[in-house]
Amino acid sequence: MTRVIAALDNSAVARPVLETAVGIASLYRATVDAVHLREDSARTAQAAADAVGVELRSLAGDVLGPLIEAGREDDVVAMVIGTRGRRFGRRSLGHVALELILAVAKPLVLVPPNGQIPFELARVLVPLDGTRATAVAVEHTVELACVAGVEVIVLHVYGEESLPLFSDQPQHELESWAREFLARYSPGGPGVRLEVRVGVPAEHVLRVAEETEASVIALGWSQDLSAGRAAVVRKVLEHAQIPVLLVPIPTRVASGGGPEEPHAGTLGLLIQA
Amino acid sequence: MGVATEVALNRRFEAAVFDWDGTAVPDREAPAGPLRRVIERLCERGFDVGVVSGTHVDNVDGQLLARPTGPGCLYLCLNRGSEVFAVGPDGPRLLHRRVASPEEEAALTAAAELTVERLAVKGLHAEIVARRLNRRKIDLISEPEWADPSKGRIAELLEAVETRLRRCGIADLSEIVEVARTAATEAGLADARVTSDAKHVEIGLTDKSDSARWLLERLWRRGIGPRGVLIAGDELGPLGGVPGSDSLMLVPEASRAVVVSVGVEPLGVPDGVLALGGGPGRFLGLLEDQLARREQRALPLVAAESGWTLAVEGLDPELERAQAALLTLADGRIGTSGCPVAAHRAAVPRVLAADLYAGEGAETMLVPCPAWNLLECELDSGGISRAFDLRAGVLRQEIQLGDRGPLSVILFSSLARPGTAVLRAEGSTQLLEGGTPLVATEPEVTELGRQGRFTLARVGAGTGGVAAAALEERLEWEAFSRIDRLAVYRADPVRLPGLDAALADLVEADRAGFDRLLVEHRCAWARRWEDADVVIEGDPELQLAVRFALFHLMASVADSGEAAVGARGLSGPAYRGHVFWDSEIFILPFLAATHPEAARAMLEYRLRRLPAARAAAQAQGRAGARFPWESAAVGADVTPPSAHDRTGRPIPIRTGELEEHIVADVAWAAACYADWSGDRDFLEGVGRPLLVETARYWASRLRVDGAGRGHIYGVIGPDEYHEPVDDNAYTNVMARWNLRRAAELVGAAPGGVTSDERESWLRAAGSLVDGYHPESGLYEQFAGFWELEPLMIEDVAPRRPVAAEILLGRERLRRAQVVKQADVLMLHHLVPDEVAPGSLLSNLLFYEPRTAHGSSLSPGIHAALFARAGRPDRAVERLRIASRIDLDDLTGTTAEGLHLAAMGSVWQALAFGFAGLRPTPEALQVDPRLPAEWTAMELCVRFRGSRVCLRVEPSTLTVTADPETAVFVVGTARPIVVQPSGARLERRGESWEVAR
Repeated sequence: MTRVIAALDNSAVARPVLETAVGIASLYRATVDAVHLREDSARTAQAAADAVGVELRSLAGDVLGPLIEAGREDDVVAMVIGTRGRRFGRRSLGHVALELILAVAKPLVLVPPNGQIPFELARVLVPLDGTRATAVAVEHTVELACVAGVEVIVLHVYGEESLPLFSDQPQHELESWAREFLARYSPGGPGVRLEVRVGVPAEHVLRVAEETEASVIALGWSQDLSAGRAAVVRKVLEHAQIPVLLVPIPTRVASGGGPEEPHAGTLGLLIQA
Repeated sequence: MGVATEVALNRRFEAAVFDWDGTAVPDREAPAGPLRRVIERLCERGFDVGVVSGTHVDNVDGQLLARPTGPGCLYLCLNRGSEVFAVGPDGPRLLHRRVASPEEEAALTAAAELTVERLAVKGLHAEIVARRLNRRKIDLISEPEWADPSKGRIAELLEAVETRLRRCGIADLSEIVEVARTAATEAGLADARVTSDAKHVEIGLTDKSDSARWLLERLWRRGIGPRGVLIAGDELGPLGGVPGSDSLMLVPEASRAVVVSVGVEPLGVPDGVLALGGGPGRFLGLLEDQLARREQRALPLVAAESGWTLAVEGLDPELERAQAALLTLADGRIGTSGCPVAAHRAAVPRVLAADLYAGEGAETMLVPCPAWNLLECELDSGGISRAFDLRAGVLRQEIQLGDRGPLSVILFSSLARPGTAVLRAEGSTQLLEGGTPLVATEPEVTELGRQGRFTLARVGAGTGGVAAAALEERLEWEAFSRIDRLAVYRADPVRLPGLDAALADLVEADRAGFDRLLVEHRCAWARRWEDADVVIEGDPELQLAVRFALFHLMASVADSGEAAVGARGLSGPAYRGHVFWDSEIFILPFLAATHPEAARAMLEYRLRRLPAARAAAQAQGRAGARFPWESAAVGADVTPPSAHDRTGRPIPIRTGELEEHIVADVAWAAACYADWSGDRDFLEGVGRPLLVETARYWASRLRVDGAGRGHIYGVIGPDEYHEPVDDNAYTNVMARWNLRRAAELVGAAPGGVTSDERESWLRAAGSLVDGYHPESGLYEQFAGFWELEPLMIEDVAPRRPVAAEILLGRERLRRAQVVKQADVLMLHHLVPDEVAPGSLLSNLLFYEPRTAHGSSLSPGIHAALFARAGRPDRAVERLRIASRIDLDDLTGTTAEGLHLAAMGSVWQALAFGFAGLRPTPEALQVDPRLPAEWTAMELCVRFRGSRVCLRVEPSTLTVTADPETAVFVVGTARPIVVQPSGARLERRGESWEVAR
């Protein structure tokens, strides 16, 4: 049996984290392993565990190391942890969450303080930038969601640099383009819906999440928070009102296993001399 | 035999070209029964044979006595390059003979006599022994022992001759050859061919190189490139200081052929020639090996001829569907995606039939047919390579299936028998057992069954449907198998076809067999290319891209009955197979100028939908016929009334309601067909309504204001960023052209149109405003365009093309001078006589920087316009974009089908832009503009029944026409009548002069 670790502190986010963990565990057909990060009292965390009906175990002292170790265990398929505030960074995200998303190469759900209770995993918003890397990252999640009957909404946002060159007859063009986009980047099949926007990606991710009443946002990412990287992840984590599932891009892909060109690109034809 | 030799010969060839004496037979007395039998059987199996000899037909045919029945051809190229015979069941038939003029005859005799004289001066006695066709033969050793030496004694003969020469102080044969060559020149023969076989020296007008050239050209015209040819001789190496006589067959055109020598070759063979030795026996063995390969169903080679082969290595799940679309096999009736024959999760097998729609209204779409191109195996990795021979229309797939071994497959969709598809595969028996030749891709709408050895399927579509019949035959050797699969599709948009017709055609195809089907198909494609190929020297990437476009244009359109050509042809489901102006304005001109039968079939599609077009006009209270913006099965408008834009917002789609220029576009296409083909009967007869009914529509559509000016209010022009607009220049001028052309037609042949009505058309045409401002030389795209925000999209989006509605939003676009594609400029492209003379450049400079090229139709047309405006280098930039739209998937939708109209625009840029072709009543007009980076361009068209070919070089233009026809080269004084032998012109500044 596989596990989803729910990392709880004693704050108000404990219950939403646990609720979300239960939802995510249902997706992965896993059990919830509720872990209390003991920094102070366990009362809130325990109450949350009782409410959801899971056992709570505690990690005391420096919890980060053991939590990272736990997350790396083979039977752990995902982790869920709460965030604290609005601005992205150590103070708001919480240092444990921040270290975890960088250290554990597994899906990790970050739950905002005002996360839903009860949490119902009805709809996943999957922003895709039209590269293989992000698509591969969330591929499994999309498949699981489709199997579980969870609605999947794929979102592609055109930036100024990635505008399409042509748009012939809109009554047909988008239909064709969308079919192929989903065929390339989304394995979910006919149940997956595509939304397309133009502008700043993070803004549209947040807006569409709200418009579509998404339960969770699933983002593929490279686990790299160095300057200039992960702009969408930062902004979405800062502003999302719903849990954000960060799925690391597999190393083989991130290290050049596939083209990073957007959707329309050279097909690599060979010309015979 | 060395490994390299073994590898080179270990395959199927499609033709053999070989020397007779010494290669095919040891001497002229030897029996040739085994050779005859193998040649006849090879020809039965589609193999072409070319015999090359210096002797005459009675000698060769009398010895060979082959009477092949085809489909392979036997050619005898005799008399040292001066004659060609085709041999059929009734014996040899002369195809070609070089006839010497009396002056040439006299010069040959003089040259031979002079040679003998000069050799005598050196002390060498030589005799003129025979006066043969176009040559003189001089015996250098007329001793009884060497009267008729066998080929096996060649080394001895050479020694004897050279001994004689040395006695006279002559170093070797090359000195003799030089004496003869000098004598020939002095006798007045500028291009004398001097050869020696050691015993003789010959002076002629032709030699074996002419035979080889003729054969390779003929094979090319039968779809066989040099890589498919085996050339054999016995004297390829040098002999006594002169090249071996068979080395003359090694012309540049043969550089990619496999060449073998079965001769003794005392001094070795030239580089690239495989020395086999063994004489005629060895050669017979080679032919028997080829026969055995055919009998064992060996796969033909897909020859990677330069500029003709599209290759896709591996399988990339992201790109697979787009690549499969690029590799679509089609014959005008059915189109099959070039997906792997082995199943893969990323692949979407697809077979579409032309004109076969299901659904209602905007939901009308092409119906998927059962697939013939799938084998029961799975491709779990990217171990596949695909090579698409555009010249022959054949796709080869090489697949690695791990433990189950390799799989090789050849597929084609017969152009000679549209609707017939052929597959041959070889692989392990385990791999090839248990397959079914037809697979329902849409099981819920497919009836599938078996009848004896046949698999049958039917799919309903509206009241019609498609019936398919297929069979498969297997040949097994222990663990190894080859299968031949045939499938026949019969589609009928009106009635669900019975299976009998498909079955009968399948039996017929089965009787023909793979090899005959391949020969027919290859020849059919070769004929199409002969009239349509464009050669661009100096840009190999563009060359291949152009041929890729031309292939799909030809493959997508049927040439009989009616041809409904959807925006993506038969290569995908996008645009639901709906027919737009793409067909008439972008695709049809290419066909009108290269294969008018197909253009005629496209017009037939519109003619059969005239009732619907008349009803549409009537429903709006107009006269005549109003063709729909989007058309499918019945000819009613099937434009979806709404869509979602890329921002997710619903948008109304008003093109069906307002993009009325399609009415004039259809009329223009009818005239285009008639102007190129010369088929006046069509316009004056059955095609007449396409001009008359459309003119009636416009006459009833325009409104005349108080000042007597005609207006067309509320339309959408080609620039779909602005809607609705009044007095769109393109719509108005095309309507004006339509009215005038119809008036011209009925002026010559009234056919029920009264003179009053004709006059009313002319008045209407004369009244129509066109937005032209003489002061600026500009046309205003529509009323009020100049009041819009002047926005240079060239500056806003330096990286064009760009889908400007996404960049700026639809509302902003409506208020700005940003144009989606050529609108005013389409007039300069289509109807240059209807626009102000000299107005192209000013309008091009005004509108192009304002054009986003957001339509895939735009770059190609601008390439043509830049070329016409004398900016060929800018034209090339645009042409490159147009040519790569699918090859680089620039729209992200190639997977859903190829952009046929953009492909048509590529040809138009070359033909109308760079070559400056235009059919006029008097002549074919030519006005070439070559960009600096091309060294030459060649292009062929059919103009009023004549095949006209141009070769444009920076300072010369060569034109041939067969049969003769009038050609007017702009910059010359008057049209010239060009003969099959051709005319050559030289550039003199801005004009051309016929070279003397």
